[in-house]
This record gives sequence, structure tokens and C-alpha cells, in this order.
Amino acid sequence: MAAIDIDGLTKRYGGDVYAVNDLDLTVQEGEVFGFLGPNGAGKSTTIDVVLDYVRPTSGSVTVLGYDAQAETRQVHERVGILPDGYGLYDRLSGREHLQYAIDLKDAADDPEDLLERVGLSAEAAARPVGGYSKGMTQRLAIGIALVGDPDLLVLDEPSSGLDPNGVRQVRDLVRRTADEGRTVFFSSHILSQVEAVCDRVAILNDGHLVAVDTVEGLRAALGTGSTVSLRVDAVPDRLPFDGLDGVSGVTVADDVVHVTVTDPTVKDDVVDLVRDGGATVLDITTREPSLEELFSTYTAAPAEQAADAVEGQR
Amino acid sequence: MTAAWATIARKEFDDAVRSRMLWAIVAVFGLVTAVMAAALSLVPQIESSAVMGLVLAGQSAQMLAPITALVAAYLAISGERESGSIKVLLGLPPSRGEVVLGKVLGRGAVIAVGLAGGLLLVAPVVLVVYGGLPVVSFAGLVLLTVILGVVFVAIAVGISAATGTRSRAMTLSIALYLGVVLLWDGVAQITYLAVAGTFPGEQIPAWYALLESLSPVGAYDAATNALLASQSTGAAVPSLAARLEGGVVPVYLSWWFMLVVLAVWGAVPLVLGYVRFSRADLA
Repeated sequence: MAAIDIDGLTKRYGGDVYAVNDLDLTVQEGEVFGFLGPNGAGKSTTIDVVLDYVRPTSGSVTVLGYDAQAETRQVHERVGILPDGYGLYDRLSGREHLQYAIDLKDAADDPEDLLERVGLSAEAAARPVGGYSKGMTQRLAIGIALVGDPDLLVLDEPSSGLDPNGVRQVRDLVRRTADEGRTVFFSSHILSQVEAVCDRVAILNDGHLVAVDTVEGLRAALGTGSTVSLRVDAVPDRLPFDGLDGVSGVTVADDVVHVTVTDPTVKDDVVDLVRDGGATVLDITTREPSLEELFSTYTAAPAEQAADAVEGQR
Repeated sequence: MTAAWATIARKEFDDAVRSRMLWAIVAVFGLVTAVMAAALSLVPQIESSAVMGLVLAGQSAQMLAPITALVAAYLAISGERESGSIKVLLGLPPSRGEVVLGKVLGRGAVIAVGLAGGLLLVAPVVLVVYGGLPVVSFAGLVLLTVILGVVFVAIAVGISAATGTRSRAMTLSIALYLGVVLLWDGVAQITYLAVAGTFPGEQIPAWYALLESLSPVGAYDAATNALLASQSTGAAVPSLAARLEGGVVPVYLSWWFMLVVLAVWGAVPLVLGYVRFSRADLA
């Protein structure tokens, strides 16, 4: 059974504004799934439909086998949620918030245990939430999401507003949750974290899914290999990389030769060839493309494609 | 397990009880009502009594209880939608219907306690000023005022459920207060003028009495009048029968029909607000 199964989801506002357009996506049980896209891509709208905050124009969503719109209670009993743009109750303390969530979820959690998991002190938990910093608020909200040992965690932009320490805590939490065999589905436009923890990634742009794959798979699909940079005493006259499979580009800047390789095993051959040309290699560095670059590649020029799809709807 | 609506109601109560503004309004309600109850004794031309003091207290309560209830509840749902806490709440198992029910019950309980507490100030004032307290009349007045307050809480929660922002909830609440509390009688009089060619005098026809009583405040006024007239001796509080042309009170002007009017005012806006909320996109 899929943790989340999104089938032909479209959400249209007004006559022709598509927040999400004919989206198909399946998140398997037990995987950490990253949902990526620039602001306004439709990530939150998709999650809002998954959580039944927003009703779809067409298409359907099932969560853990339950219909997201018709069986909302069954879904919410089993899912932990950190919504986008959420708020809390200023006059209630952190501990009261957790107790409220525990009561409403009919769960057996100990608030102290949850506080410890998200790193909130007992003093902080006794204070009204109106005086919390953004980081403390976010921790408490994540604590609420963890109530009732959910099988699936849905986190919409879990790192927004957090300091680097908080960001790391969120990442650790995602890892731990995943290690316990649970499914984690989270959206982000901060890519480094997604890269660090996700089994698979979907990239959404302008309401369309543009890619779903593993991070490695995305790299391979785009063919943007890693770059080997060789600093040499003198650049050889001849760089005969043309005959070498797995090399996709060469540039020379001052005393550095940059070679882009799509096959990691040719790196050795590249170094040998440079040496054969008569140069002494002083330094070697290699660089993997970041997800950031992949992301820009995917989302940079989709306007035409999106327009076509909207035409297709009419 | 406690039902979700009961958990929500309890949290609403605990939360609202901590609002200083709410208690300030309740204190103003109690003080103004108590002063009004005593004021009649200061007018030398009138031979005042404790029951008449309660009539004045009721006149004051029917203006103030609605606004107190509206203030206590107009943000019940719209405020949560604006702050985004509704997403946390609805991300937990409760349905939107359970949220609306819990809100009405929790805030209704707060306003019931607040209004009853405020009116308790009236009892010693009447006792001291008029030398006695008609207990049945006073208890009835408290009960009817609590009902009026809870009806306005239900109206306010309905408005709150139907709107997504504080400002729209406030605008609708003010419009409602103006229409239902302040302007209703005036509109009724103009209607009478249009039909009969004169303003209503001492004696009024039954249809006009009904028109006056169809607002929640009018129904409260008619029900308290029926209660206090039945408990007072002589003509201190004129009964409806004495005001009506023909002198016979039809069924649709009886005190229990006034309770039906109040119940309808509580239920209809609440259901409409719920229906709108249940279909809303909470983006």
C-alpha cells in the first residue's frame, strides 16, 4: 500500500488559475520523500489537499489507503502534520498545546517525552506560546506532529524560520523517524536538506510535476556529471580527451584544467592524459553538482511546457 | 475517550477564561445592569419596586448581553483561520463540524458564566435599594439572559465560521448588532406607520407585537415581560394582554413561542456558517 497516492490532482482557482495541474505522484511506505519547487509551484496546495484543508477541482488523493476527503478522520488519526502558515494559541502554554493534541488524538504520549524529542525545556513548555520565538514555536509544532506515533509525517517547509541548529535538529528528526520505519513526506525550497535525507525527490514547477527520482537518478538523467579540476605547472598544448568516453566538456582557465565527466571511472584516465601531455599535476579537486543546480535546470525553462498543459486542459 | 467536541469545548473555555478583555466587558455588563436596576429609585415621581428594578436590569441586559457574546465569539473560527491555528486543529482527527460544535459549547459556557456572574451584582443592589428581591423573577431573568447570550454566541460562531478573516467577521458582527439589536424596533415602527398610517400607540395589534418579537432581543424582551408581569402585583409591570387590542394573547405571542424564536436565531446562522465552513478552502 502506498503512503500517499495522488491521482490526476488538479486545483483550479477562478476560471483559469491552476495551482496544481493533473498531478500524479506515489509515495511508498517507509521512504523519505522530498517535495521540491520554487515558491508558488503548488507544493503547499498539493499538501493542503492531502490534508483536506483544500478540496480538489478534480482528481483524488488517498493517504495510507484512506480517501483524503471522505475519510479525513482515519487519515488524521495516523498522520502527523506540520502545516504551512500555521499558528498556535498565544494564551496556552507549550505543554497545554501538546496535551490538547494528545487528547484530540486519543494518544497515550507523555508531553515531557515529546518536549525532549523536539528540544524544548520544561520552563519554556510552561510559558504561554505568545512569547515564543519562531524557532521554539516550530519545535512545539513539530512536537504536536509527533503526537500519537504517526505512520506518516507530512511536513510543509519544516525548516522555515529556523536557525542552522534548528535546521539540523529537524534533519535528525526526519532521519530518526525514517529509521523507525515511518514515511516522511516533506516539502522544501531549501535543497541541501532534501539532498541529505531523502530517498526520492519530486520537483514541482508551476503546478506540474517535472521530475520524480532519486537524487542520483536525477543527476544521471540530466547528465551533468562531476567536474575534475587539475591545477598544473603548465597547460599542455594538446588535451586529447575527444576519444575518451565519459568526458562531456573541457575548459581551461589560467593554470587549471576543468574536465566534466559523466562516468566517475574515467577520472583516472583524465589525470593520466594530462600528465602524458607533459604537465605536472599540482592539485586535484572534484566537485559533484548540487541539487541546487539540478533544480534550476529543471525549473528554469518550463513556461512553454506549462502553457501547453493548460491548453490541454481546455 | 472524551469526545472531540467536548475536548475542544473545554479548551475554548480554559482559553477564553484567560482573556482579560472578556472579563472587563463582563464587569462593565454587570455594573451597568446593576446601576440601571437601581436608577429607578432615584426618580421621585415614580413609585418604584424591586420587580421594576429587574425590568430595567433586563432592558440594560438586552442591549449589553448581545455585544458581550459577539465580542466573546466572533473570532472563534475566523481568528483561527487568520492565525493559521485552524490548520493545526484540523490536522488532528476532529472534523470541521466537531470544531464548530466545540466552539459554540465552550464559548457559550464562558458567556453563560460571565453573564450570570455579572447579573449576580444586580441581586444585592436590588435588595438594598428596594428592600427585597423577588427570587423567582430574578432567577428567571438570569436564565433568560443566559439564553440570550448563548444565542448570540451561536450567531457569532456562525458568522465566524462563514468568514475567513477577522475584519470580515467584525464587520458582519457589527452589522448584525445594528440590524437586530438597535434598528429592529425602528424598522417595525416604520412598517406599522406604512400599514396603519400612524405610529403605534398604547394599544397595539397582535401582528405588530409579533413583528417586535421576531428579533432575538424582541423575543427576550417579550419573554422577560411575560415572566415579570406574572410575578408582579398590580399594574407595576403591564402584561402583554393589557397592551394588545382585543386583550387576548395568541399562541404565537406566548412566552414559550419566544423561546422558539430564540432557538431559531441560535440555530439558523450557526448551521449556515457551518455549511459554508465545511466547504471552504483553508489555504
